[in-house]
Amino acid sequence: MDRRKTFAEPTASNTGSNIKGLQLFIADLRASQQSEDQLKRIHSEIVKIKQHFNASNKKSTSNGHILNNNKFDGYQRKKYVAKLAYIYITSNTTMLNDILFGLDEVIKLIKSNVFSEKFIGYMTLELLYRHKIVVERVNDQVITQLIKDISSSKDDFTELGLNFVGVTGTLTKDLASNQDLVSGVFQILRSPTSSLYLKKKSTLAFLTLLKSKNSILADDIQRKQLWIQRILSLLDDTDNYRLTLTTLPLVEYIAKNIDPSFFIRLIPQLSDILYKCVVTGGSNNGRGSFPDEYKFANMPNPWLITKIVSLLNVLIISPSETEDNNGLFESSLLHTDNIDPETLGRLRMCVMETINLGTRRTSDPMEKIVQNTILFSLINFASKLDPSHEAIVNSATALCELLNSNDINVRYLTLDSLIRLCSFSGKTAFDSIRGKNLDLIFHILNSERDSSIIRKVVDLLYTFADINNVKTIVEQLLSFILTSKHLSDPHLKSDIAIKAAILTENFSTDPSWYVNISLKILSLSVNTSSKDEEIWRRLCQIVVNNPQLQTLTCQKLVEYLRSNLTSEYIVKVAAFIIGEYTNLIAEKVPIADLFNMFTEKYFTVQNGTKAMILTTMIKLYRCQPGIGSAVIKFYQLELNSLDIELQTRSYEYLKLIQISKMNQNLHLLDTLLQPLPPFNNKSNPLLKRLGSLPIASSSTTALSSSRSRSSSMIWKNNSNDGSDNNDALQTTSQGTDVTAVPRPPPARKTRSSSTFSEMLNRNSTLDSKYNELKLSNNWREGSSRMFQFRQGILLSSPLLKVLYKIVVLDPTKLEIILTFANQTEWEISSLTSEIIASRTSNNPEYFLQNIQPPENPMIAPHHKVEQRFEIVIRKPFSCNEAPIASIYFKCGGSMNTLNLKMGLGVTSTLSTNGSVTLAQFVKRWKTLSDAMGKDGEYQSNDILVNLFENETPDGNLKKLINILMRMGFDIVEQTALSQTLFLAGIIHTKTDGNFGCLLKLSCLETGKVNITCKTTTGGPLAQYIVNCIIFAINK
Amino acid sequence: MGIRFMLCFNKQGVVRLVRWFATSDNSTDPQEEISQIYRLISSRDHKHQCNFFEFSDDTKLVYKRYAGLYFVIGIDITDEEPIYLSHIHLFVEVLDAFFGNVCELDIVFNFYKVYMVMDEMFLGGEIQEVSKDVLLERLSTTDRLE
Repeated sequence: MDRRKTFAEPTASNTGSNIKGLQLFIADLRASQQSEDQLKRIHSEIVKIKQHFNASNKKSTSNGHILNNNKFDGYQRKKYVAKLAYIYITSNTTMLNDILFGLDEVIKLIKSNVFSEKFIGYMTLELLYRHKIVVERVNDQVITQLIKDISSSKDDFTELGLNFVGVTGTLTKDLASNQDLVSGVFQILRSPTSSLYLKKKSTLAFLTLLKSKNSILADDIQRKQLWIQRILSLLDDTDNYRLTLTTLPLVEYIAKNIDPSFFIRLIPQLSDILYKCVVTGGSNNGRGSFPDEYKFANMPNPWLITKIVSLLNVLIISPSETEDNNGLFESSLLHTDNIDPETLGRLRMCVMETINLGTRRTSDPMEKIVQNTILFSLINFASKLDPSHEAIVNSATALCELLNSNDINVRYLTLDSLIRLCSFSGKTAFDSIRGKNLDLIFHILNSERDSSIIRKVVDLLYTFADINNVKTIVEQLLSFILTSKHLSDPHLKSDIAIKAAILTENFSTDPSWYVNISLKILSLSVNTSSKDEEIWRRLCQIVVNNPQLQTLTCQKLVEYLRSNLTSEYIVKVAAFIIGEYTNLIAEKVPIADLFNMFTEKYFTVQNGTKAMILTTMIKLYRCQPGIGSAVIKFYQLELNSLDIELQTRSYEYLKLIQISKMNQNLHLLDTLLQPLPPFNNKSNPLLKRLGSLPIASSSTTALSSSRSRSSSMIWKNNSNDGSDNNDALQTTSQGTDVTAVPRPPPARKTRSSSTFSEMLNRNSTLDSKYNELKLSNNWREGSSRMFQFRQGILLSSPLLKVLYKIVVLDPTKLEIILTFANQTEWEISSLTSEIIASRTSNNPEYFLQNIQPPENPMIAPHHKVEQRFEIVIRKPFSCNEAPIASIYFKCGGSMNTLNLKMGLGVTSTLSTNGSVTLAQFVKRWKTLSDAMGKDGEYQSNDILVNLFENETPDGNLKKLINILMRMGFDIVEQTALSQTLFLAGIIHTKTDGNFGCLLKLSCLETGKVNITCKTTTGGPLAQYIVNCIIFAINK
Repeated sequence: MGIRFMLCFNKQGVVRLVRWFATSDNSTDPQEEISQIYRLISSRDHKHQCNFFEFSDDTKLVYKRYAGLYFVIGIDITDEEPIYLSHIHLFVEVLDAFFGNVCELDIVFNFYKVYMVMDEMFLGGEIQEVSKDVLLERLSTTDRLE
């Protein structure tokens, strides 16, 4: 407490950390009112500091030791460096170059053994590391010292080192490239002896290193697995989640950018924390379950909540995202419909509770902010949890009501959420928002005075525009640009114009409306920022490609030229389009009139546009050589132009006219000015300008481009072979201004062309996560058992016993219950278990559905915990690709991972259809052979059976019979052939249907077995069946 | 992802605090960026306009004014804005408790201590500690170290 009192009067404070000289200097600066005086004062101080540094360096070198660290020198150095830091800040960083001379002294400070000196040194470097020039000069020395400090036995020094990494780690790649530094930071993170305080710092310091260099983890699979396990174990602090809070961003970063597969199993645990925060901690009666200090403004901890929701957003993938298929790691993510019902229920409860919290009345402005933080965080997440039609409509309705809020921040956030909802949930969301609220949204557009809000409104309108409402929306946007008094943001107008232009192109079905609106947009552009250049270029390209627009556009442009309502862009379009298609309007408008109009405009426009008009004039001359003398006069005048381009063009065009006059024909001009062939860029360059749309921007763009494809009135006529268009464009553009039009970029790779090969590729490979798992040594025994018995032991280890039970729900759907039994006298903690399929996307052979994750991450000594999941077998699959249970737990300080491949395969859905007689068997065998030949047959000889324990052949046979019966095969009774078994059965699959199978097994004298299997379908099913048997008869 | 920079300046546009966690590829000079942000935010009406602004293709601003000082956080364009208002408020509350009724002068004269507070609260563009008690205890220890 007394500490705070001292600081009430900072200048009077006399604690060791205060630097008197610094404060005098600052007071001096504040006293000088004129900025010139301040600058003088700063420069005289800099001179003084330089002198001091020089003097002290001479002294120390003459004494023979460079680091003369007596206390007085250290204090002086600290003081002067702090002054330089102050100068840097107060000059808005402009005086960087004036203070760089002090860098060597800063380095001496970080090498000091006095905390306050080291602190000032690092603090100053944290400020300056933004500048490359600083990094280049001192980086090597800094890194050497950093490594020393981070591994120092003094926690305070370690702390300063970690702070420095945490601040500057992403400003330069150099820190992350130093292997020793990376390991040093990670060592703090993983060491059981580091304090919580340092661990927190090390997680974020490590995050900055990773942000600047993913390859720290990405390039080394072994290190990746090991280090991620360490990071995961940090999430076990359940006391107050302080370490969790700093670990979550690190986990989220890895999940997003490196590999999400390790974190799917966290979903139940995260949901549980979220539930405790929001539902238990948030409800009034549940107070106390969460420490008071971790509430903020009487609300549950908003930081923990937003971090968890943000991570869940990364880990869970919804059906609409799957369609977009832009996720790099899609196969590793958890699909919404595969979250176990309990977790899903909890998450939905959290959403409901937050909405309740959101309606709680409060007068404290901070409480309100926190309330909104939590509310919008969960509302944005909710559409992922429940993508049903009804849920989307409800969200949309609830959000639209918030649009009437008095709180401007709420209105902003609501609009933001609506945009997310639209880009996420598509048509359902569009319809429910547009249906009732379009007028309200237009009202907001016209009444708000905040450009932030207006941007959001425009984005929202843009997001849900389509063929039916495009006219209303675009017209509203244009009238807004024309009439709004609140348009102080210069970029906003241009952004709205761009969006209106894209909408017009994408959705207009009426050519004359398209031309009218596009020209109107161009006529509105008063300030000719280069950003808007693309709008008129795009219009020109479209008119060139669509003959039905050409006459209309020319006529409209003539109207504009006559009305004097011309912006620079209108003149540009007119110069190009009218020049190109003069003949289309020549009957209605005398060419001499056109020439006069352009002459008039010529003197009001910029040079770039003038150059275009010069080209237009020669095109006019070509159509009507009668205006020759006027044209020649004009060019002669421009020969004196100061602009070299105008001069050149005038000279060249003049020459052209002379040459063609001499030859008495226009052939040369005709050749040079051939009609422009259609452009070939199908992707709209304007789409690049949508940067301000939030995360959904990629999907929105995809959406609009796919929509534009379907309504492609604009590009429909562009059926010419585009391969030689580039050349054509170049020849025609010679000497003309068409060079100003961007050359078409190569057509973007369309989705349909790549997906097929991608699909093929993906089908032939397993999910990388599945492949990377290293199976535990003794997994085979449990797996073999699982092929035969409905329940039993999957694994028994000194620490943990895993039991399984299979319940057949229908012929192709099984429920599997895993029971984890603690075998020890200690508690088992952090138990997570994830069932991993070999493939989850692209029509997989089987689906896994989580029913319940391990009920509890703790298992008391000699207690049990259960997990349930279902498997639906859709198609035949190899038992080599059976699901793997990946189990992780801690016991007595050791971390353990078990990866157990389960005994599940095609025989898991085996049934029989009454018993088959020998005669029936022989007949069917023959029928199959006749019908299919060798197709659908598989033979495997000399199979080792390690279950046979040197018994008599009869004993072995008996053993074999028992195993096969337990697997579910029907064994044909026969005495005709000894040491031979005939088997029959039916394999059930959900998608591919049911298949019969017949098998012949012969026990050889060597103790080995031959198996032949025939199935009623081609393909590898027979081989899969034989493999299951091989698994079952071998431990 | 996370905080790109933190700024604090007064109504006249004099910078009091500046901290960069990330730089844009196409970033202009820092001083140019700072003065752009100052011009933009000081021209906004703090009653009728919200606390958020989309500043560039990769950065959004979240800001709040306390007396004569603007606190501004630049965040990634994909982040959700509201939590950062809580960041700012907590930061100001901690400064208030640490200095005892903090004012601009405290921040001017003790700027290096304010950076100490910042280092305790924000690292790697993320918040590091949200408990005021824990923070104040740690700060008073660090402040007393020689």
